[in-house]
Formats: sequence, C-alpha cells, structure tokens
Amino acid sequence: MEQTWRQAKAAFAAISIPPIAWLLLFFIVPMAVIWAYSFGENTGPVTIDFTGTFSNYMRAAEPLYLEIFWKSVLVAGLTTILCLLVGFPVALAIAFASPRMKAWLLLLIMLPFWTNLLIRTYALIAVLREQGYVNFTLEWLWSNASGLMTLVGLQPLGEFEPLTLLYNNTAVVIGLVYVHLPFMVLPLYSALDRMDRSLMEASLDLGAGHMRTIMQVVVPLAAPGIASGILITFIPALGAYLTPDLLGGTDSQMIANVIERQFKRANDWPFGAALSFMLMYLTFIAIAVQALVQRRSERRR
Amino acid sequence: MNKRTLRGASRRSILQQFGAAAIGVSFAGGLSACGRGGGAPTVNFYNWDTYIGPTTLADFQAATGVPVNMSLFATNDELFARLRAGNPGFDVIVPSNEFVTRMSQAQMIQELDRSKIPNFANLLPEFQDAAFDPGRRYSMPYTWLVLGIAYRKDKMPANFVPNSWRYLFDSPQFTQRIALLSESADLIRLCAKYLGHSVNNIPDEMLTQIEQMLIRQKPHIKAFHEDDGQDLLASGEIDIVLEYNGDIAQLMAGPGGEAFDFVVPQEGTLINSDCLCIPTGAPHLEEAHAFINYLLDAEAGKAITEEIQYPTPNRAVADLMGDAYKNNRVIFPPADVMAKSEYGAFEGDERSRLYEEIFTRVNAA
Amino acid sequence: MTTLSQRRARRERPGPLEYTKRWPLRVIVLATLAFLYLPLITLMVFSFNTSRRNVVWQGFTTDWYVKAFNNESLLQAFVNSLTIAFLCTIISVILGALAAVMLWRFRFPGKTAVEGSMALPIVVPEICLGVAMLVFFARVLPWPMGLPWPLNLGAITIAHVSFSFPFVSTVVRARLASFNRELEEAAKDLGASEWRTFWDVLVPHMQPGLIAGALLAFTLSLDDFVITFFTAGPDTITFPVKVYSMLRFSVTPEVNAASTVLILVTVVLTAVGLQMQNRTEADKAKA
Repeated sequence: MEQTWRQAKAAFAAISIPPIAWLLLFFIVPMAVIWAYSFGENTGPVTIDFTGTFSNYMRAAEPLYLEIFWKSVLVAGLTTILCLLVGFPVALAIAFASPRMKAWLLLLIMLPFWTNLLIRTYALIAVLREQGYVNFTLEWLWSNASGLMTLVGLQPLGEFEPLTLLYNNTAVVIGLVYVHLPFMVLPLYSALDRMDRSLMEASLDLGAGHMRTIMQVVVPLAAPGIASGILITFIPALGAYLTPDLLGGTDSQMIANVIERQFKRANDWPFGAALSFMLMYLTFIAIAVQALVQRRSERRR
Repeated sequence: MNKRTLRGASRRSILQQFGAAAIGVSFAGGLSACGRGGGAPTVNFYNWDTYIGPTTLADFQAATGVPVNMSLFATNDELFARLRAGNPGFDVIVPSNEFVTRMSQAQMIQELDRSKIPNFANLLPEFQDAAFDPGRRYSMPYTWLVLGIAYRKDKMPANFVPNSWRYLFDSPQFTQRIALLSESADLIRLCAKYLGHSVNNIPDEMLTQIEQMLIRQKPHIKAFHEDDGQDLLASGEIDIVLEYNGDIAQLMAGPGGEAFDFVVPQEGTLINSDCLCIPTGAPHLEEAHAFINYLLDAEAGKAITEEIQYPTPNRAVADLMGDAYKNNRVIFPPADVMAKSEYGAFEGDERSRLYEEIFTRVNAA
Repeated sequence: MTTLSQRRARRERPGPLEYTKRWPLRVIVLATLAFLYLPLITLMVFSFNTSRRNVVWQGFTTDWYVKAFNNESLLQAFVNSLTIAFLCTIISVILGALAAVMLWRFRFPGKTAVEGSMALPIVVPEICLGVAMLVFFARVLPWPMGLPWPLNLGAITIAHVSFSFPFVSTVVRARLASFNRELEEAAKDLGASEWRTFWDVLVPHMQPGLIAGALLAFTLSLDDFVITFFTAGPDTITFPVKVYSMLRFSVTPEVNAASTVLILVTVVLTAVGLQMQNRTEADKAKA
C-alpha cells in the first residue's frame, strides 16, 4: 500500500525534491512562456503581445487541423500495435535468456538506435526504394520462378514490376515501427525480467499450454510494463515529423509536421504553441481520467 | 540527500555568477573590439554545411591571425528561429534574399560598414544593389541560385526537354515520377509564374486557383522532398524534380552525371541569393567585417566557387574561373530565361502564414 | 564419450521456461534483427562507396574513413554528442529513479498534477520544447559563451535531461509495480535504516528498469536534433546538428564511416566488458 508522505517526511523530501525541482525549473518554467504565447498575437516579425486571445485555439480547432490530428492518432496507434506485436516476443526472449546472452541481445536491439536518425532513415530508404534490396530480392525470386516455369513448359511470368514501398502511408508506418521499437522493447523487458517464475511453472504444470500461460499469466503480470511501453511509444510516434517528411507521400503529413512549420516557416509561434498545447491538454486529461479510474478501483478493493 | 541537493544548488548559483562574469568579459571584449580592433579575436560564423572552400577558414586565420568558428544550420527558417529570441554570439550569418529583408525589418541584422569591405568593388554591378536590400546596407552577396527542373534524360521521350512548369504542376505526363520541393512559398510563387503572373503580389483569386491546381496534380506527384531532390533523382525513384541549379550541377559533375540534365522553364523562375550579414549584437564586429571582406576577395572566392560550384556574383572571381565553369549552362542559365526570372520579395509575415496554410491544405486534401 | 554426452545435452529438449531456445521465438527475434540490421548493413556498405552520395553504388574506397578521421569539426561534434549523452544518462537515471520511487511509494496532495506534469516532456512536440528552451536560455538563464569544454555543453545537457528523465521514470515505475512491498517492511523490521533498505532492497529490484531507462536516455540524447539546435551556442556543434545541416547538399559517406566506427567500437567495448565481468565472476567463484 502507498504511504502518505507524512509518515516519512524526510525520506519523501529527499526523494521528491530533486526531480520536482528539476521539472519545475527546467521544464515548467520554459514551457510556461510558450503556454503564454498560445494566448498571444503576433505584432511583428519577432514580437508577440499577450492579449489573452483564444483565436489561436479557435484556429487549431478548425476541421482542417482536427482531421490531421485524427489521422496522426491513427498512424501512431497502428505503429504502437505493431511495435507491441513485435516487441513482446523479443522482450520475452531477452528476459528469459542467459545473462551473457541477455547483454548481447539488449545491445543488438539498441545498437541501431545509436546511429543518427537521419542516416538510419536514409539507409531504410536504400532498402525499400524501387532499386533497393527488397525489390532486388523479389526480382531475383521472380526471374528464377519465371525460369522454372519455362523449364516445366509453362508460360514465363511477365516482366518484374518493382513494388512501390516508399512515399506512402505504409512506408511511414514501417519507418515509425523501425524508429520506435526500442521504446516498446525496453519497458517490456524491464517488466518481464526476473519475473516470479513459480506462477508460470504452476500454470504449465497444471497443463496449460505455452500460449495460454503467456496470455493469462505473463501478460497480466507484465501489464504495467505494457502500459508504459504503449505510453512511451504512442506519444513520441504521435509527435514524429522526420519520418513522415522523408518516407511519406503527398498525403502523409502528421500534426508534428504542421506544428514544426508554424514555428519555422510560418513564423507563427502563437499558433504553433496552441497546436502543441492541444496535444498536451489531451494527454493531461487522459492521465487524469486514468488516475481517477485507478483510484476508484482501488477503493472498491 | 538533502545536503546533496543543497550543494548542487549552490554550485548552480556559483555557475551563474561565473556565467555573469563571462558575459561581462565577452561584452567588454566585444566593445574593445569595436573601439580598438583588439579584444578576443575570433569569428563565429553561422553557415550552411559544405558551403565554403576546404581551406578558406584556415587561410583566413593564416592571413589575419583570427580563428573562425563555424556552426551550421540547414534552412533559412531554422536560422531565423534560432536568432529570434536574441543573438547567442554569432558574428557572420548567411541568410537568403527574402530573409535579409525580413531580418533587417526585425532589426536582427545590422548595417555594414562599407569602408571596411573594400572588396565590394569586386562585385558585378548588378549585384552592387538589390531590391531586397536597397543600397546593400545590410548584406553582401555570397552566391546566387535558381530553381529549375532536373530530369533523367533516358526517361524522357526522344528529343524532349521539359521546358515548362506544366510538367511539374499541371500535367499527368510523368505521373508518380515527380517530386516537388516542400517549400510553400517557392511552390506557390512558381505556380503563379506558370500561370503568367509575377512571383510577387499574387492576387487572392489566383491563390485559390493555384491551390486547386496543386490538389488536382497531387495524384501524379510522388513526394514533397526536403531539398534532397538530387538524391531522389540519382536513386531512380523519380524522373523529374524541382531543385536548385547548384545541387544539380554538383550531381552532373560527379560520376554518372551525364544521365541527368537541368532546364530553367521558358516561363522564367525564382532567383535566390545567399548573402553575408552581421547579426545585431555580434561580439566581434571588426573581425566580422574583415571576414566578409576576405570572402569577397578574388582568390578566396575562387577556392570557394571551385568547391561549391554555385554561380558567383563576384566579377573578380568569375574572371579567375575556367571556361568549364563560365560556360556551364546549368550554373549560368541562358540570358533569355534569366530575363524573365525574378527574386521573391518578402511580403510580410501574414503572407508567409497564408502560403503555409495553403500548403497544409494541399497536403491534407 | 565427452563429445557424445555433449551432443546429447545439446539435443535435449529446452526446459519449460527457456523461451529463448524455442523456435517460434527465435524466428521472431531473428526476423526483428534482420529488419533492424538490413538498413544498418546498407549504411556500412555505403561508407565504402566512391560516390559522395549515399544513393548509388559506384566503387570501393576507404577514403571516407581517412576524411572522417581528419575532419576536426566532425570529430568534435562526435565527442560533444557522446559527452552530452553520457552526462544526460547519469542525471536522468538518478532523477528518473527518484521520481519513480516517489510516485510509487507516496500518497501526497497534488500527486495527479505531478504525475501529469511528469508525462508532459514525453508529450510535448520536440520543436515546441526546442523553442521553449531557446527562449529560456535567451531570456531567463543566459548560458555564458566561451566557457571551457565541457561546461559549454551545459545548456544542451540540461535540455536533454528535461525530456529524458520522464522516460526513465515511466520505465522504472512499471518495474516497481512488481515489487513485493513486504520485503521492504521485513528489511525495516530487521532494523535496516531507510537508506539501507532503499539501497539494498529496492535498487536491486529496480535494476532492469534502470538499465532500460539508461539505454533509453542515452539513445534519446544521442539522437536529438531539434532541441539541441535551439540550445547550442556558436561554439558547440553536435553530431546530429552536423548531419542535418548536410541535407541541402546531400549527406556524405563520411558520416556513414563515423557511424560505422561508433557501432564497431560499441560492440568491441561491450565484448570486452562482458569478458571482464565473466572473469571477475569466475574469480569470485574460485575464491
């Protein structure tokens, strides 16, 4: 059960002051200025008056921007689901590996992400493009299959048409999964590692299959890890701008692209601030609702 | 733990005091640099990457004893945003024409002292004055460049040259083989040029027309690129692309470059010019002027131009360059289309915001 | 005889919980690694390309490695990035772990607000935080220019910690959910002080979360471009800033070469580290 802070005042102070102070000074204070901008008006190329206007939010709530918002949520949601489907088995494998193997697997998963995002995205383009390795492999398979068919006296296949894997929304999702996979694997691994195995053994002993054991024993035990993985994958994916810029087609813009352009090209900081804070208000509401639900369920217990 | 935070806090305040002292020192240094040409001699140069000769900075240091510290930005928008809240200590920056106007209006750049830039006389007469900076009070031209159509020759019909913006903006001929630059203002201005209007003062009803044209063309466009159109073209992902001449000249000069060509459409195009400016609050004024003067020097300019292969506004440099450069019609497009081309003027922030919203709508459509 | 028994041991069915040895999982892990490494191998291959573009293969050369090693600004940018990432990781792990313990252990007024604010740095779009930091370091806390290295990286490091430590806190807190609080109480009943209980009971349990959090913080910091750009002074270039500014004229294989070296160095260092760890463990076992 949670302690109230009164029970251990000294410990509470020691634990809570550093992070809260840091957050306050180096995050809340800078963001407060931007928050104020969201209620301001541009009065010149570099000057903003704090007029308390809601016009920036009114504009951010126009259907044009709400639709982009919604589309970004869908893309980020799909990315998160794919990351979870891929990341869970990988995290399971890491958590149940020998210590030596574990270190290597963790490193192997993380290593690609220590290479610059831009270069990594370029490398992904080189793999996926029309004259890239995926298409080269497919072409090779195609021509061999075609040769095989002539050998057995069938019509050869037509000419190979390279698949268009880039510059569309699929490419954006593939790219986002590629970029955000560690955000899912790491929290899952941290939740699964050194988990109480007696429950799993009991389940297996009682005749449940592996799938069933994983779904009904492991997943519930790892639920907090899954929740945190979803949180820290979904939200950064929602704010992605480079991947849609470089891999997307003409209709792949996401909300972060629009926000970025407000702060840069359009030189419209108040509107960019309003769009950014729309994202944050939504998160704040989601977290508050979650806290309420949790408190209610705890009380029921 | 409590003690630890306390100690951390006091360390931070010590750091702050130290910081204040350092500011004082650098400020005093800047002042004395103004007055006597002494002080902490260094030039903080904010430039595009690889936009300088390989030894230019070292040569300047050898000639004057002043080291140059180069940092990098990737777009004009980034440069502007970075300096918007104040100059963190840059001495020389390289904005493009439109941004020279914008930054001078916002008093983010300061007037140059012409007496300290005698190499101004090296410039071609047409670059000694500019509509975006009347009387060249704030800027010195570094390079100029034009947008045009780059294409892969063997993917075009026989003897065909895509010499109209139509092939990019208003035609299904190269469907899904087209990439456009994702710069809202450039796109809209070139569309206006295609429709027979100037790139400036575009009337509202024409903006609507342009938006509809781009939305209609969208199914045929493969991607909006981030100024990496030359890479898309080289990798065979597309066959025809909106790009700057300098980028394509570099591509064509490289191995396998003969597969590509570049044309400025007959309707005319947008001209840009990257300029050297001194931001307000620059700590080393004297050295900044000396550095700008050095970049306009004939020999120094030659080394830069040989490296970056951009058109030079400097007559003394052009005289030193070989014929391969001077007669390159990618670097120097024909006079007849140049005569129809214009600089895009800065028409106020409202205008940029409007262009941006149109581009967002085109993207979302 | 030994070889036979060894072979038999190898052929034995994996134990019930040795998921790593089961083939469906192995297939998934291998496929994931292929997905992650195919682009990386491409990147390494292109570091040997004669063309200055990362696009078309034209011929083999090692020139880019020579150029990368002689490119002082590239090396400086690299050292800066690694230093910032290192500092950011240490501070983020400490702050993140403390925040996680605070939220997990205590009930206090305004907890929901603190919890929500902790999540904000994850949510805020990079560009927005970048501009916020720009204004903050320009108006509120001007970071002095011309400080000696590594103090000149202070502003960037502070900004990086601000967006990294909430990630650490989220991961560690998820890990703490599986902690058996009775253990802590037992330790206290046995007379351990608050500090000893924290250090000897809670921290070991948090360890996987701390490792995961540290890896996240390091990755986030090493790769950040936008926020770094807005907090970097005239004398501090980082690797991502260097790379992004190359976009206009094509990114050169020099960057691939530098990245390849970083990958190889990391692998070698890890191998050495694990080897040393094994040896100390073996020594301990002997003693």
